[in-house]
Amino acid sequence: MAPAPPLLQLDHVSRRLAGRQVVADVTFRVARGEVLGLLGVNGAGKSTTLAMIAGVLAPDGGTVMLEGRDLHETPAPAGRRIGYLPENVPLWPELTVREYLDACGRLRGMARAARRRAIDRELLRLDLSGMVNRLSGQLSLGQKRRLGLAQALLHDPELLVLDEPGNGLDPVQTAQLRELIRTLSDSRATIISTHVLSEVEAMCDRVVILHEGRVRFDAPLASDSGALDRAFLAIASGKTGVAA
Amino acid sequence: MSMLSIARIDLERLFVRPFAWILAALTLAVLAWFFLLDLNAFLAAQPRLATQAGNLGYTDLVAAPHLLAFTQLSLLLAPLLTMHALAGERRTHTLPLLFAAGLSPARIVLGKFLAVLAYLGLLLALVALMPAWLAHATSPDWGQYAAALLGCALCIAALTAIGIAASAFASHPALAATAALLVALALTMLDAGARLGDIDTGWLDYLSLPAHLTPFMHGLVRSVDVIYFLLIIAVSLALASRRLAADKVRG
Repeated sequence: MAPAPPLLQLDHVSRRLAGRQVVADVTFRVARGEVLGLLGVNGAGKSTTLAMIAGVLAPDGGTVMLEGRDLHETPAPAGRRIGYLPENVPLWPELTVREYLDACGRLRGMARAARRRAIDRELLRLDLSGMVNRLSGQLSLGQKRRLGLAQALLHDPELLVLDEPGNGLDPVQTAQLRELIRTLSDSRATIISTHVLSEVEAMCDRVVILHEGRVRFDAPLASDSGALDRAFLAIASGKTGVAA
Repeated sequence: MSMLSIARIDLERLFVRPFAWILAALTLAVLAWFFLLDLNAFLAAQPRLATQAGNLGYTDLVAAPHLLAFTQLSLLLAPLLTMHALAGERRTHTLPLLFAAGLSPARIVLGKFLAVLAYLGLLLALVALMPAWLAHATSPDWGQYAAALLGCALCIAALTAIGIAASAFASHPALAATAALLVALALTMLDAGARLGDIDTGWLDYLSLPAHLTPFMHGLVRSVDVIYFLLIIAVSLALASRRLAADKVRG
């Protein structure tokens, strides 16, 4: 019997932006239950790669496959299976927290009762219950980040794509986020982009290091955390090529 | 379904802001004032009108001009209401939220168009009720009034579509509003000089917005006028969709 395809597979994905090759020939796969850390310095191509996985940007070359289907050819069904938190939290500042989550649920085609249940669940899970009637534009940076995470989780996606989820969170919230992502990863695949090594070490099973738009390292997280530090620093400083 | 979801979300966002309520209140107040002035002038002129041939009545002198005034006001209202539609989403970084939900650019554009159209449609209904309330005291030409209403609705839809297209191309809402206003004014003023000079406008007639709206005001529904407005709507929305799709492709 043929093995089941990975939940997400990127094959030779490339993307130019403003005349610059931002992502070049990126190939990796993510299985269900796996937390993948996308590591790289600023400008390495992490956010562009995640935007292509989320269906926000179309790749110039290569394919993004969600369970064997080209994501950009079937965007609507894929949209219901992916939860995406971009680097800039997408908020409608004039809506309250509950109104905003309700709108996000509607966009994902959720029925009214399911929306209500999911909103209550995420408000509780992300410690936002006390601010349901506050305008989302008036929240602090950390609260906005949690609200962004709530919208990404609302429709219970199979693939969670988080771009720098730890930005703006205090140490307590960062610890809670790590715990949350660990809990969530049991039933879904998660991709987290970051340039903070400790976040990868705390949350991820596997790490892909991007540098100048290319995959320079793709391996499970070793028990020796010093090895990842050394590999990342060597790649970031341009002292090494492709590793695996 | 997702298109209607966007329309509902945008309407909700519109109505939670004081801007929409203030705009509606000001519009209705201004038009109510104009209506009273027109009605007063009509009542004063009635004895003279009764002796004249041509038989201009309440619909020609009060009801249809009242709707026309709202359409003229919409030259300003539509850009103000549509400027945030897509340019605003870009500024608040919420376009990725719509794309990530798997919505096509065409559905996003149509949803946003429907939201503003619903708001202006509601205003048009309230404005149209003003002259209709006096139906018991006068005898309006309902056919002519319905044609004028249809013309206004089509014209407002066209202005809304132009606003959505401008919002899709502009990086800032203020730029979008300015561009939409300029395009709408250009379409309105295109043959103004020729009309004032009583010169045959020829092909300019085909492009001029008033040339296609005026027949509706006289109770005349011509297919060429209906097609003109539908073409403006279709071209504007298609351009907006293409621009939004380019956001995905060009980044």
